[in-house]
Parts: sequence; C-alpha cells; structure tokens
Amino acid sequence: MVDWEAFQPAALTVMLGGYALGGVVPAILGILWRNRTKPGGSLTGAVKNIGFGLALAAALAGCLLSLSILISGTPLHMEFLPTAHVGMMGFHADTLSALFIGAISLLGAAAACFSLGYAAEFLLRRSMVLLVVLYNFFVLSMIGVLIADHALLFLFFWECMSLTTYFLITFEHEEHAARRAGFLYIVMTHIGTAFLLVMFLLLYSTAGSFAFEAFRMEGARLPASTQSVVFLCATIGFGIKAGIIPFHIWLPEAHPAAPSNVSAMMSGVMIKTGIYGMVRVFFDFLGPVIPGWWGVLILTIAVTSSVLGVLYALMEHDLKRLLAFHSIENIGIILMGVGAALLFASWGNRPLAVIALIAGLYHVLNHAIFKGLLFLGAGSVLHAAHTRNIEDLGGLIKRMPWTAFFFLIGAIAISGLPPLNGFISEWLTFQALLLGFHIPDLTVKIVIPLTVALLALTGALAAACFVKAFGITFLGLPRSGHADRAGESSFTMLAAMGFLALLCIFLGIAPGPIVSVLNPLASSLLEEASTGQIVMHAGTVLIPRSASASISPAALTGLLVVIAAIPLAGISIFVLKSRSRIAPTWACGLERIDPRMQYTATGFSKPLRIIFSDIFRATHEVGISEEPSPYFRPTITYELKTESVFLKYLYEPVFRSIVSAARIIRRIQTGRIQTYLAYIFVTLILLLLFAR
Amino acid sequence: MIPVHLPLVELLIDIFAASILVTAFLIVSSRSLVFYIRLFALQSLLLGMVALLVVIGYGETHILIAAILTIAIKAIAIPVVLTRVIERIHVQKEIRFRMSITASLMFCGGIVILADSVAQSILRSPHAEASAVTRVLSVSIAMMLIGLFIMMTRQKALTQIIGLLTMENGVFLSGLSITYGMPLIVEVGIFFDILVAVLILGVFVFRINKTFESISIDSLRSLRH
Amino acid sequence: MATIILLSFLFQIILVIALAPLVTGIIRKTKARFQHRRGATVLQPYYDLVKLMRKDVVVSSVASWLFHCTPFVVFSSMVVISLLVPTVVTPVPLHWVGDIIAVIYLFALGRFFMALVGLDTASAFGGLGSSREMSIASIVEPAMMLAIFTAAVTAGSTDLSVIVDRLSTTPASMLNPSHLLAFAGLFVVSLAETGRIPVDNPATHLELTMIHEAMILEYSGPYLALIEWASQVKLVIFLALMANMFFPLGMATTWSPSALAVGAGAFLLKVIGLALIVALVESTNAKLRLFRVPELLVVAFILSLLSLILYFIVGA
Repeated sequence: MVDWEAFQPAALTVMLGGYALGGVVPAILGILWRNRTKPGGSLTGAVKNIGFGLALAAALAGCLLSLSILISGTPLHMEFLPTAHVGMMGFHADTLSALFIGAISLLGAAAACFSLGYAAEFLLRRSMVLLVVLYNFFVLSMIGVLIADHALLFLFFWECMSLTTYFLITFEHEEHAARRAGFLYIVMTHIGTAFLLVMFLLLYSTAGSFAFEAFRMEGARLPASTQSVVFLCATIGFGIKAGIIPFHIWLPEAHPAAPSNVSAMMSGVMIKTGIYGMVRVFFDFLGPVIPGWWGVLILTIAVTSSVLGVLYALMEHDLKRLLAFHSIENIGIILMGVGAALLFASWGNRPLAVIALIAGLYHVLNHAIFKGLLFLGAGSVLHAAHTRNIEDLGGLIKRMPWTAFFFLIGAIAISGLPPLNGFISEWLTFQALLLGFHIPDLTVKIVIPLTVALLALTGALAAACFVKAFGITFLGLPRSGHADRAGESSFTMLAAMGFLALLCIFLGIAPGPIVSVLNPLASSLLEEASTGQIVMHAGTVLIPRSASASISPAALTGLLVVIAAIPLAGISIFVLKSRSRIAPTWACGLERIDPRMQYTATGFSKPLRIIFSDIFRATHEVGISEEPSPYFRPTITYELKTESVFLKYLYEPVFRSIVSAARIIRRIQTGRIQTYLAYIFVTLILLLLFAR
Repeated sequence: MIPVHLPLVELLIDIFAASILVTAFLIVSSRSLVFYIRLFALQSLLLGMVALLVVIGYGETHILIAAILTIAIKAIAIPVVLTRVIERIHVQKEIRFRMSITASLMFCGGIVILADSVAQSILRSPHAEASAVTRVLSVSIAMMLIGLFIMMTRQKALTQIIGLLTMENGVFLSGLSITYGMPLIVEVGIFFDILVAVLILGVFVFRINKTFESISIDSLRSLRH
Repeated sequence: MATIILLSFLFQIILVIALAPLVTGIIRKTKARFQHRRGATVLQPYYDLVKLMRKDVVVSSVASWLFHCTPFVVFSSMVVISLLVPTVVTPVPLHWVGDIIAVIYLFALGRFFMALVGLDTASAFGGLGSSREMSIASIVEPAMMLAIFTAAVTAGSTDLSVIVDRLSTTPASMLNPSHLLAFAGLFVVSLAETGRIPVDNPATHLELTMIHEAMILEYSGPYLALIEWASQVKLVIFLALMANMFFPLGMATTWSPSALAVGAGAFLLKVIGLALIVALVESTNAKLRLFRVPELLVVAFILSLLSLILYFIVGA
C-alpha cells in the first residue's frame, strides 16, 4: 500500500516547483547574461533545454500526481492562507481536478519534449528566454486554476493564464495578425472574467465566503432564480474560454498565431479549463437538482458549436486555423455529454446522467491527446515547409514519413473512427443519448434525436475535413518548392508525437482503466450512490449498464488486424511479389502528371460549400488579365470568401454601437481644464444633493 | 353494418395516415407539376381508404358516400382536370422557390412536431377518446399547415391549387378523426365546392398563362395598378 | 458444441462474402432485362474477380504506402462488419464485439481510407471522387443514424442481435407505420451509401458523374478485385441490415442444422427480393445531378424523423 498522504504533496511540490523553476531559472539567466541570451547568443540553447527540460520533468510529476489521486480516490488538500472573512485559501485537488491535471500533464510532457526540437527554430530569431518563461508560467497557471480552492485564488490563476497566453499569442509580434488576434483574445477573455466575477459574487452573497467548500455546501440552497443566473454567468464566462459558438471568434485567430507547441497546449488543454469550470459549477456547486432548461440550453450550444465548428473548419486551408475550428467542434461534442448529463439529472435519472458525463469527460481526455498530436504535427509541417497553407503543400508522406503516420493516427482519432480513442467517447455519447429517449417529455424527445443526428453529421464532416487536411498536405505531389524540399523532423519532435499517437491507440483499444477511474468521479459529482454505470466485462467489453449493447474495442481491433492480415499475407506472398510494376499516374493522355492537375483543398470542399451554401454565403471573384492578348491569358485569379455570420450579424453591430456610443461620449471630452472642473463641480453638487 | 373494430383496422389506419403525411412531404420535396398531381391523387386515394376503414371498423355508414366521393372526385376527377391543364399550358416545373427544398422539408418536419403537440393537448381534454382515428388528428393538423406552407412558398398557380387541396384533405381527415366525419350534407357540399373551385381555378390558370405567358403568380402583382 | 457453432458461424460469414458477387450479378442481369438486353450471366462478377486476381498490379510512381494498405483495410472492415450483422441466425456469437454504431463507423473507416487513396496518386479524378464521396457520406450519415435510432429505440438497444430478437418476438410491430417509415428512410440511405443509381452510377466511368469509381481509378489487378469485392459485400450487408432489422422473419434462433437451413433460405429470399427492388429502382430512375442528391437525402432524413415522431405519437 502506497502512502498517498505523503506521496501526493511531494508530487504536487515537484510539479509546481518544476514549472516555477522552469520559469524563474531562464529569467535569471536572461538577466545575468543579457547579451548571451539574446537571439543567436551562446546561452540560448541552454535556456531552451533547461526550460523545457524542467517542464518535462514537472509534467511527468503531474502525471504521477494525477494518477495517484484518480486511483486512490483521496483528494489532495492543502491550506495555506487562513483569511477570516473570505474563507480559507488553499489548494484542493479532487478526482475532477486530477483528470484535467492528467490531461495537461500528458500533453504537457509531449509538448515539452516536442519543444526541445521545435523551439530550435526560434534560437536565432526570437528571445528564447521569453518563450520559456511564458510557457512555464502558462502551464503553471493552468494547474493553479484546476487546484484553486478559493474564488479569489481561482481568479488570480485564471487571469495569469489569460495574460501569459496573450503574450504567447503575440510572441511573433511583428505580424499584424498576431497583434490583432492577441487584442481580440484579451478583450473576449476579459468579458468572460467579468461574468465569472458576477458569478462568484452571487455565490458569495449566499455562502458568505469565497471558499469553494462553502459554495459546495450552499450552492444547492440558492434560490432558483439566483441559481439560474449563476448558471448563465458560468455558461458565458467559461464558454468564452472554451470557445463555444457564438463566443468563438477569438479562437481561430489566437490559436494559429501562437508557436505550435503553445497552440497544442491552448487547443488541447487550455480551452478545457472552461469545461472544468462548467462541470465544477454545474454539478459540484449547483447540482444535483437542476431545472430542465439548463440541459436543453447546453445541448443546443453543443450542437451548434460542433456542427458549425466543423463546417467552418472545412472551409479553412490554413492547417492551424483548421485545427482551431476543430477545437470548437470537439468542445461541442464534450458539451453534448455534459448537456445530456444535465438534462438527465433534471429528470432525476442519475445513473444515465453518469453515463453521459463519463462520455463527456472521456472526450476531454481524448481531445487533449489527439488535438495535441495534430497541432504538433502541424508544427512539424510548418517547421519543415515554412507554410501553413495546405494549398502549397503535398507529397509530404514521402518526405516526412513518420510525421505523416502520426498525423494520420490523429486524423483517424479525431474523426471518431474505430479503433482509436475518438470512437469510444462518441460511442458512449450515442449510447447515453439513445437511452435518454425514454424520458417522457416532448422537448427531450425532440432534442435527443436531433442531437444524435447532428452528432453523426459532425463525425462525418470531421472525417471529410481530415481527408482534405491529410490528403492535400501529405499525399500526392508537392505543390510548391517549400514542400518539395521539406525534410523529416528531429527525434524529440517525433518522439513527442509518437507518444501521443500511442496514447490515442491505447485509449481506443483499452478504455477499461479510464472508465474505471471516471465511473466513481462522475458518480460522486452527480451524488449517485451506485458506482459502475459503465462496466468493463472481462477487461475488454464495454457495457453501459441499462443498455443491452456493448462493444469490445480490443476484439474489434484484433479482428480487423487478423482479417486484414490473412489476405495481406496471401496476396503479398503469392501474387504481388512477381507481378507488380510501377508506372506514372494516368494524366488524361498528357505526357506526365503535374502537381497543378491535382485536386486543391478549395476544390475538395466545394460540394459541401454548395450544399451548405446557406451557412457559408460564399462569394467568389474570377479575375482574368487581358494582357498581353485576350487569347493567351497568363494569369487567372480566383478569390473565394466565406462570410462569418456571427461576425456580421452579432459582433459588428455590437462594435458599431459601442463605437458610436463612444463618439457621443467623446463630446464631453473638450480638452479644456475648466470644463473638467465643471464636471467635478456638478457631480459634487449632485452627490451632496443625493446624500442629503 | 356491424362494427368490426379490429386491431388490423387500426393498424391499417395508422399506416395509411402515415402514408398520407409522406405524400405531403413528397409534394414539398418535388419540383415536377405532374408529380404533384400524381401525389395528390395518391394522397386522396389513401384518404378515401382511411374513410372506408372507418366505415368498416367503426360502423359509421354515413361516411361511405363521403369515402366514395373522395376517391371519385379527388383521386380521379380533379387530377384528370389538372393534368389536362398542364398539357395545355406546357409548364412542367416549379422553378423558383421562396425557400429551398431542403429548408422547406426541415421546416415541415418542425410543423409536424408542432401539430403533434397541439393535437396532444386537444386529445388531453376530457371528451376525447383515444383510438386509431383520434391519433390521426396530428396528421390532419400537420396536413393543413403543410398545405398552407406550400401555398405560401411556391410560385406557380397550379402549385397553389395543390396546396389548397392538401389543406382540404387535412380538413377532411380532421373531421374524420374527431367526429367520425361531418354530417353527410356538409361533406357533399364541400366536395362540390372543391370540384367547382378546381374547375374555375383550372380555367384561371389557363387564362393567366395566356395573358402573362407564365403561371407564376408574381405576375399578378402587376394587376395592382 | 462450440466447434459446431464456430463452424456454422464461419459458414455464415462465407455465405455473405461468397454470395456478394452473385447479388451484384442478379442486379445487373435484372437491369439488363429491363433494358431489353440479355445481359451477362449472373456469375459474371465471379469471373471478373478471378480475372482481376490473375492480372498484374500497376502502381503509380506517386503512390505511397497508403495505396498498398487501403484495399486490405477496406476489405477487412467489411468482413468484420459481416461478423457483427445477424444474417441467418440470431444472436450472432460475436454480437458483444460491436453494435450497429460500430458497424456504421466501420463503414466510415473503410470510406476514410478509400477517400485518402483518391488523393494519393495525384490524379485529378481521384480527388474528384473523394471529394464527392465524403460530401455525400456526410449528409447520408445523419439520415442513417436517425433511421437506425428508431429501430434501436423500439428495441431499447443498439445491439443488432437484440434488435432482431425483440422484433421477431413481436411480429405485429413489423407493420408499424413508424417502422415502415424508418425502413423507407434506410432504403434511400442504402442506395446512397452503396453508390446505386439515383446517387451514383456503378456502371459509369464518365468523369462528370462518377463518384466511387473515380476514387479507385488508379487501382488494378488483385487490389481492384479486393475493393470491388468489398463493395459487393457492402451491398449485401446493407440488404441484410434492411431485411433483418426490419423483417426478421424466418431467422434461425438455434444452431441446429434444420433451423440454419431455414434461416439461410429465408435470408437468401429476402436479400434477393431486396436486390430485385434495387434493380427496379435503378432501372426506372435517372441518376440525379450531384446537387440534387442532398434533397433526396433530406427526404430520407425527414422520413426517419417522421418515423420517430410517429413512434411517440402512436406509441408503437
């Protein structure tokens, strides 16, 4: 028996210490040897290795900590600042926190390892000290958000997280796009924080303390109307961070602007802090007695986010922006689980709610892993080919075989195809929804089939999108010189991707350990006495209780491999050896195939652009130059624009009204000091009259 | 006639009612005017069958005449007349839509859900008794709304007629479902009304086409001045 | 006893896989008769497969390793699916391995790889095919899921064997309007999913119209044979799903030889009957323009939605 009491604080210290040192040591080095740590300086390599090395060590400690909490079920509790009026300040890491810490640490380890190779790109161009310091404090603040046990502490870490990400987004600050993305991000995230502040104040007004413990005790006793306001504030405040539609506009700008290792962390885990916040508030603070419309609202948001997220992703040809839109989609899928859990809990069917919540939380972990993998893959491509535009790529599978292989694994996983991990969580979501159909209520009976249908649509569109992303980027012939000259990434980068790819396979084939950990977690959140809503029979067969259906991912994989192997062996031995020959691709009778004959990403997504034209409102312009003669036209340009409905009909009117309001207010800014004195005078008089 | 009240009759009523709803949806999903007319004929035939089943299953003999009239007039006479009109005016397709077919279908799906919830609340009242016939009520309400929807979103005068007739079929079905059919004299009156209306409308369509060289009802707007 | 079950189970898979070319042959023959042609013998697909197996493989110089492994992925996913779908007997011994959702996603797995290969050889046709295939597949999926949802909700399970079992114990519910509508929805979906005529023409190689054929244009020899065979198996599986999820008449419930024989006979009758209907639909309809296909699929979607609505109106 391991002594958890002693082990957990030690692991926590190592983890926090690792990140803190990883931030502080490079900073000190930077101050002491300013010249040698400048871009191109002799110490930059050391700074990189120390910073990311410590991050790697801390992440490994984090994995152990998370495992120990999840397996033992005993939460880690530390109090360090007893404040009389606002409640006890301290850290509290229960199984819910531990799950998210686990996600951060798994991806963090991979990202740190990847950075050891990837950040070399910045050695000559950028301040390595800045990158390392920001990165470590960014991860540290994320961990802080997850273990804070006090509203003020939570908000402190929340803001640290926002600020560090802001600086990481604007890391390449010469780029106009990066500055614009950073600005958009900081504005949106502060609007979110404002809502969180209101939420915490409302909770405080009843609980009389800012400690989460008090919220937990008193949250369920709030008046129904206050509860609903808290719920809405949490949905908006955390929703902005999670990137739900319609609050998503910052996400596709911000994630691609940051360096790829940071994009992986942002897309993989940072947006999940929003999900963490929602689950914490909805189930831990407010639950388990819940009005029915909460679940319907969350499900609506979830469905909108997932379908629109994937549709917008289909139109993207910037690899990292495409992945960013897929984050919106996957947040939607996670929220389907959460929303269904809320809906079922409101009907008192807690065992079913547990299954739905497990599905959502499983997808949290899965998305962290495959999205991290895909972003790291995109980073490798960017590193090798110096472009993110997939229209200029192609043929990389021959030039970067391992990267291509790992990216393919990520693509299969995110499309929810068996036998990888995305399939398991989508399957569980389907099961939960199907079982929920028997709730005797018209709204439920309408919402659930639609959710099922749209989840299926999302999955299929995601597959289409990744056929495009993988096919255009890695297959065929290179479409530009950059792509032609690309070479394989360094070992650390490949190792990081390989680790995540292995996790995708492991979580897909053996969901047992994760499910056995998630079961008690979801049950305790929903205060459901019986654990084991999802059973692993004989270690391989996944059965949600009360559904008489099961899957066995391990057996499925085994069958696929064995059955594929038989004809493979037969054919490759008896048939192919002697009788295969290599010939050029048929080029419709022309002499040879040309990269420009290949399908483009724009062409690939055209059928869907037409089918969903009501959503995209695409307009295109064809420009044909008349010079030098109308018969030989050297250039034809084709420009395609899709319209963002939300930007046009939601944000722009808001911006316009803010600006025009500001114009009106500006009139009082005369610039004359006497006028200002007059304002003060009038205000003073009014106050005196009022206070009389 | 002796009522036989078989589960089989109930089952058949359910199936026919569902098929009637499907024909309404197929009308919404199609572009061809000829197809509209054929679907309407099928719809009316199914409606007649439902009426006959009510006669057989519940012994309501007075519906028998209405059922026969439905089949004779709506399933045979009116389609024949309308097909003639189409042959004369050489218009084959509904081209312009106020709402795309996909969106229309989705919208009509919503209409059915709405109709069902309305029907449920009607049936929840104490006078209502639940049988296969009353279950048809939601279908009939949906039919009326879909008919109106067709008239609202389509351009050609002929499609307007089809929309109107679909609505009328809905009315007949609701009559069947709530009171086992209205008094015979009312039914017969409605039938002749409809027949005459269709004849007149058919002549109108022909005239409109001659005058404006199209049967798009948008052209009628120029009569405003 | 276990060995007998195993043997008869093997027999069942072999039945599906071996039968697949025959069903395609029957459809082709029927279509030929409709066109007043005599048509090739119903065994022609077998001859084609044998011929392809004997030919050389020509591999594009651009192709990567994906080109070589895709035929096996596609074929093996079809074979795994045929292990999960009850054809002659219920419950199938491996029903715990995967349910109907797993089946749908296994189809998607095969399609994913096939679409990738369309882009692998840098040919313009391949990209065209994969683009169209993935677009149509993505609007097929919600309609299919909804049609299956009705069947699953009626049975209270997504396990195919359970669905079949529950339905065969209450034969009256086979004629429920909601059940029939879901069947109609699934029928339309199956036409799209297996590339039959209103959606795709399996006999064409015209670049304006081809979808499935465009993706696999670069394949030859045994690879092509595997892929063709896999799509024939896919057709049979869809016919089996339609037949057994909605009308599980005559299915064997024990592993006794007589019951199996009856089951096999019933299965053959149902599948061939449905194949004839498919041939009829193919002969009497024209292929739709690509952008009319979504309208057809929305009709399928609405049929499935109506079936669900009717399910809770009528209460089945």
